[in-house]
Amino acid sequence: MSEVLLKADRISLSVPVFQPSDRQLMTNPLQFITDLYLSRTTRGIAYLLNDISMEVRAGERIGIIGANGAGKSTLLRLLAGIYKPTTGNLTTSGSVKGLFDISLGMNLEATGLENIYMRGLQMGYGFSEIREMIPDILDFSELEKDIEKPLNTYSTGMRLRLAVAVSTTRSPDLLLLDEWIGTGDMRFRDKVKERMDQLVEQAHGLIIATHNTVLMKALCTRGIVLEGGNLVYQGDLDDALAFYEEEVRAVAASKK
Amino acid sequence: MNRLSSLMYMTYFQFAVQYRKTMIGPIWVLLGPTLFILTLGILFSEVSQVSAAVFVPHLAIGFICWTLVSGFVTGSTTVFQRSRAQVLQGGMSLLDIVAVDVMRTILHFLHQILILVVVFFWFDLSWTYYSWVSLIGLLILVANGVWLTMLFGIIGARYRDLSEIVNAIMRIAFLATPIIWLPSERSGGVMGAFLTFNPFYHFLEVVRAPLLGQTVAMDTWLIVSAFTILGFAVTGMFYRRLGERIPLWV
Repeated sequence: MSEVLLKADRISLSVPVFQPSDRQLMTNPLQFITDLYLSRTTRGIAYLLNDISMEVRAGERIGIIGANGAGKSTLLRLLAGIYKPTTGNLTTSGSVKGLFDISLGMNLEATGLENIYMRGLQMGYGFSEIREMIPDILDFSELEKDIEKPLNTYSTGMRLRLAVAVSTTRSPDLLLLDEWIGTGDMRFRDKVKERMDQLVEQAHGLIIATHNTVLMKALCTRGIVLEGGNLVYQGDLDDALAFYEEEVRAVAASKK
Repeated sequence: MNRLSSLMYMTYFQFAVQYRKTMIGPIWVLLGPTLFILTLGILFSEVSQVSAAVFVPHLAIGFICWTLVSGFVTGSTTVFQRSRAQVLQGGMSLLDIVAVDVMRTILHFLHQILILVVVFFWFDLSWTYYSWVSLIGLLILVANGVWLTMLFGIIGARYRDLSEIVNAIMRIAFLATPIIWLPSERSGGVMGAFLTFNPFYHFLEVVRAPLLGQTVAMDTWLIVSAFTILGFAVTGMFYRRLGERIPLWV
C-alpha cells in the first residue's frame, strides 16, 4: 500500500454563531430595532462538519461532491489545517497546501510580475523560492508579454491563469483545490488537467471540490459525498456521482 | 530572518503600490502632519506665553510619536479582519500578519521622522549623549505595538465592539496627553494630576524627553517596563488559547 498522506479520524467542526433575526426587518421592524439595541441576538452553535473519517494515500485523487453549503470548502480548510477540528484527530504527513482564494495577494494596481511575488509570499513561499518559480509560472500562464502590465488590464481568464500558475508550480504533497479551478477556457482546463496528472505521477495527492463533474471525472479516482456537513458516501468516483444524482432526484421527487 | 525580510518586502511593496497613481507619492505621508504642526505651532506660540522654540519641538515630536502610537492602537483591533484572505489561506501565520501591520505603521513613522529633522535644525536643538536614550524608548514603544496588535487583534476579531471602544478612547486620549499642551504649563495643571494614570503619556515621554534634553522620570521607566512585560505575558496566554480560533472568527 502507498503512503498515507492524510488521515482524518472522526473530525467535527462547530462554531458559535450570532444570528440576528434578519427577516424581522421586513415583518416586524420595531422588533428588529429593539433587538439591535438590546443586543438580543440568538446565540447558538452551528455544526459545520460532523464526524468525518477519511484517508488520502499518495497518488490518490479525491473529488468532494455536494450541494452548495454542504461543507465542501470548510472541509478543505479543515484538512489544510487552517480550521482546527473541535473534536477528532487529523494527522497529515508532508506538506498540505490549498488554493482557496483566486484573488489572494492580488493587487490590481501592481503588475503581473509583482503579483506573482505578492501571492507567492502570502502563500508562504520565500523570496528566492519565488524567483526560481518564475520561468515555470510564465510558461504555464502564457503571460510572458503581459507580465509587466498592471493586473487591471488583464482579463478574468488571464488573472485565473496567473493565480493557478503561482499556486501549482511548487507541488505540495497534498494539494487542495476549491471550486474556481473548474472555470477558465477549454485550453486552460486541459493544461490544468495535465498539471494535475503530473502531480499524481509524482505520488502527490489531490483533493478537489467542484460542481464541474466533467473535470472531476477527468481528474479524480475516488469521490466523497457531503450533505449538510455529514459524509454520506465514499467510494469510486462514478459510484459517488451516481449516489449523489440519486439523492438529488429523490429530493426533487419528494417535493412534488 | 529570511521570513522577516520577505515580510518587509511585502510591507514596503504594499505601501509603494498604494501611492503609485498619485503625483507626489509617499510625500503625502509627510504633508498631513507638517500642516498640523505648522498651523498649531504658529497659532499656539502666538496665544500662549511659551516661545515657539519650546513649544514647536514638543508638539512635533509628540504629534509624530502619537501618530505611531495611535496607528498601532487603532489598527490593531481590525488587523485579522483586514487580512481575512491571508488568515483563511494559511500561508501566513498570525504573527506574520501582525508583523506586516506593525511594520506598515513604522514605515509611515520613518517617513515622518524627516519632519523632526527639520524641526531640530530649525530650532537648533542640541543632540547629546542622553538623546540616544530616546532610541531605547522607541524600541520599547514598538515592542508594545507588537503585543498590542496581537492581543487587540484576537479580541477584536471576536468582539467587533473593541474597535468602536478604542476609536472613542483614542480621540479623548489625544487631548488628555500632553501633545498640544505642555505638562508644566499652568493651563494643563488639572490634567497634569491625572498624567500618572495615562499610559500614553509615559510611552511618549520615553521617546520625547531625551530629545528635548529632559530626564525621563523613574516612575515612567517603571510603568513602561511593567506594561511591556505584562503585555507580552497576557498576549502569550491569549495567543496560545485563542489563536487557532481566529480563522473561525474573521
